[in-house]
Amino acid sequence: MAAPLTADWLQRLRRRAKPESRGRVRIVPRSIYILPTRQGMLLALLLLLMLAGSINYGSNLGHLMTFLLGGLWLVTILHTWRNLLGLSIQPGEAAPVFAGQTADFTLRVLNHDGSSRYGIALGARKRPGGSVDIPADSGSELHIAVKTERRGILPIPEITIQTSFPFGLFRAWSYARLDLSCLVYPKPAARGEPPTLAIYNHSDSGDRGVGADDFIGLRGYRLGDSPRQIDWKAHARERGLMSKQFGGDRSEQVSLDWELLQGYDTEERLSLLCRFILQAEEREQSYSLRMPQEKIPTGSGPRHQQRCLSLLARHGHDDETAG
Amino acid sequence: MKQPVDFTVTPAFVTKLSLMMALALLPHVANIPVNISLYLLLLLTWRIAGLYWTRLLPGRWLLLAATLISILIVYAQYQTLLGRDAGVALLGMMLMLKVNEITKRRDIYVSVFISYFVIITQFLFSQSVLLTLYLLGVVIGLTSLLLEINRVTPPRRPYQPLISTFKITLQALPIALVLFIIFPRITQPLWNFSSEASARTGLDDRVSPGTISELIESSEVAFRVQFMQPPPPKQQRYWRGLVMWDTDGYSWYTDDKQVLRSETIKLMMIDNPVKYEIFLEPHDEAWLFALDLPLEAPPNSRLSQDFQLRYNEPVTKPINYSLHSLTRYGMTRLAPGLRRRALQLGDNVTQRQRDLVARWRADSADDRAIVDQALAFFNTEPFIYTLSPPRYPGNPVDEFLFEGMAGFCEHYATSFSQLMRIAGIPSRLVLGYQGGEYNALGDYFIVRQYHAHAWSEVWLEGRGWVRIDPTAAVAPERIEYPLRLAFGEQGAPAMFEIDGGGMVAAMMRHFTHALDSANIQWRRWVVGYSREHQFTLMRNFGLDSYSAMQWSLVTLGMVAIVLLLVGLNIVRRGRLLLSPAQQGYQRFCNKLSRIGISRRSYEGPMDFARRAARNRPDLARQIMAIVDLYIRLRYASQERDGRQLRLFARQVRQFRPRQR
Repeated sequence: MAAPLTADWLQRLRRRAKPESRGRVRIVPRSIYILPTRQGMLLALLLLLMLAGSINYGSNLGHLMTFLLGGLWLVTILHTWRNLLGLSIQPGEAAPVFAGQTADFTLRVLNHDGSSRYGIALGARKRPGGSVDIPADSGSELHIAVKTERRGILPIPEITIQTSFPFGLFRAWSYARLDLSCLVYPKPAARGEPPTLAIYNHSDSGDRGVGADDFIGLRGYRLGDSPRQIDWKAHARERGLMSKQFGGDRSEQVSLDWELLQGYDTEERLSLLCRFILQAEEREQSYSLRMPQEKIPTGSGPRHQQRCLSLLARHGHDDETAG
Repeated sequence: MKQPVDFTVTPAFVTKLSLMMALALLPHVANIPVNISLYLLLLLTWRIAGLYWTRLLPGRWLLLAATLISILIVYAQYQTLLGRDAGVALLGMMLMLKVNEITKRRDIYVSVFISYFVIITQFLFSQSVLLTLYLLGVVIGLTSLLLEINRVTPPRRPYQPLISTFKITLQALPIALVLFIIFPRITQPLWNFSSEASARTGLDDRVSPGTISELIESSEVAFRVQFMQPPPPKQQRYWRGLVMWDTDGYSWYTDDKQVLRSETIKLMMIDNPVKYEIFLEPHDEAWLFALDLPLEAPPNSRLSQDFQLRYNEPVTKPINYSLHSLTRYGMTRLAPGLRRRALQLGDNVTQRQRDLVARWRADSADDRAIVDQALAFFNTEPFIYTLSPPRYPGNPVDEFLFEGMAGFCEHYATSFSQLMRIAGIPSRLVLGYQGGEYNALGDYFIVRQYHAHAWSEVWLEGRGWVRIDPTAAVAPERIEYPLRLAFGEQGAPAMFEIDGGGMVAAMMRHFTHALDSANIQWRRWVVGYSREHQFTLMRNFGLDSYSAMQWSLVTLGMVAIVLLLVGLNIVRRGRLLLSPAQQGYQRFCNKLSRIGISRRSYEGPMDFARRAARNRPDLARQIMAIVDLYIRLRYASQERDGRQLRLFARQVRQFRPRQR
């Protein structure tokens, strides 16, 4: 128990750049951390070796060259630090994704300074994003890809902005607390049919669904078709194996109900509902969704789908506000 | 954590990096054997070819084999892998092998870092200004490659990373200088590799016919001298090195087993001492040179009883020292032991030598007259001064005096000294340099190996040891110059300096003098900077009583201050580069910003002024006037119009908007 506690304590201790207007975060001097990279340490070690050699052979020019490279090493700290200083990060929208897919956060890094910034990279949750050069007085878009695992609201409590320009000897980074999150829909379950407590509306346009009531036509035999479905007469006429197809009386309105999915746990239910919604949308059916707390009336179209899916995504997350 | 920027290694980049690495190694070609240089070139060619025919690129096993072969080659050449020379060869191999496996970002760093190391080893061999500037350029070139891989978009202009790196290096320079001046110099080596093979030219501690004429072929600098007052005349510019007391009739040397008892010598000054500074090049021997006759010993050396300067260790790196010398002097007493030693002869003295000396003795009143007779003998007899004398295999002195009559300074000096000893006049041989080439640009003398010279000293009662240069007695018309000395290079041997003819030669001389003059300043302030300089400097600042701890704190403090200054400059860089008009405009914008009208980054001066005027009609007149003036100053190229600029500055100053 002690370890996470310490980590939490450290989390609170560490300085972050906080948002100002419109959710934008500006990197101020106090929020920048800087440490030598592995290459930087290697060079420092080498410089010590060079100094030892220069002392040993009493070479003044050796001293001078060692000190020049040492000076370069030190000055690089300032340049790397300066390369990050004063940039601001503007959070953008992340399109909702299904659990298991990769969420793509778009951010804009703005450079208000008169000099260009190079090799600026964003990262979240220890995963590096892309990197860009940002010319003077302009901005560049950067993407952070985060693989999602669970449905719900995927918050990015903080992102890392970092650089090792000019020579890669030091890495300067800063943690920025951004209002950044992505809605993650449940992972759709495998195909299946919703429990039929559907409202049977007569359809004038006929039905192409699968049922057992009316004969609709013939199609080629597929492995697994019941022998009772095979059109033996056609077979006798040497027209090959054909299966008879029957259509059911199918509603164009589906009513999806949480309560009807008994025998599944919460996440399975959400996955099933997600699948049904997608399926209904695919079949151009209208559907309503009834959840324990909320009911969405019948409807269809992308907006309706989005509303239903986000209700699923947020199930149990009601205390949190959406981003 | 992963690097912020991913870099893909392209063939073009590998070419650039390989060439930079080769440039870092290039000056070592002079320091390593030809066959190793050729092998290194082969490795480089292998890599460059591999860029175009990837099939040629070595696999892991081939590379391992090449590494082993390289180590074997170095071992075969030097019989060791340690020490300066073998180490450098090994480092060169490592560098060129590394060229063959640049595939990842990490390899780039390792390559650049090994190159840095190779660069620093160059200074073990040469410390000239030109080399330093060259290597500085290579360091900047190498480092700029690191800059290139830490940015995303390729630079718009290919030399842009070079310029950026150059600027950063300039910022690092003050830190380097502070550290250079105050970092304590340790005089004792931390570790020692003995038996360093060295092939430096210089005087030997044994003189036999032929030893100096070898040196005459070399125009390498032995040392440089700067006088603190008008230099002594040419006849007195004898640079004393070694004194040889003993001879076996064939060569002259000083037998170390016969200890010279240190005796106080009474020296009578006839002239005031001459003060000068010598910048000695390393010659790997433990002696120093001084104007005849040095009065004191520089640090880490001692002055022997016969006025040789013995250094505590072989001179393997350039050193500087200041000295006083007497050009005219007298001495009072020669100890009996030394007198015996200065009269001892080899077993090859012939009867005709004795006869010759007996003739002189008969004609002379005193020792001085015998010396004059001997000099007259060299002048009137057909003696020839030549750089390529015949060989005298049997009895060198005798064959030279009576048969060949052609020789170089060591022939004259050894024969003369021997004749003097036969005559009962104590004599000894002195080895050193004579003359020197004056560099008017830097006001100093360059003494080169071809100024090497040998002369005699004889003991004359009442005067002490007197320098006699028998070579100078040779009649001028019997002096043979090699062609090389007659044209181009200045500085004929010994006394007979001639000015090389022709305008080209004069221009060349002027150029080399300018370069050498820069070198001597370099030698004085940078290469020769020593513990003693450091102490003097610190004493002047009253810091000499500091402890090691305080010392480190001072060093750290100084570096921190410099770093702070550089940092301020970097942070304020954007503003520092603004012209006066731009600075005024910035102040104007800041003032408006304080009352809530901030210029947006996309707004030009005119748009901003219009918007500001709309917001604050009461200030409109002032705002428009200032911006009008600014536009005229900035865009109608009237920036240099001082009157307008002052007017603009005043208007900005007087613009004091208030919040409503």
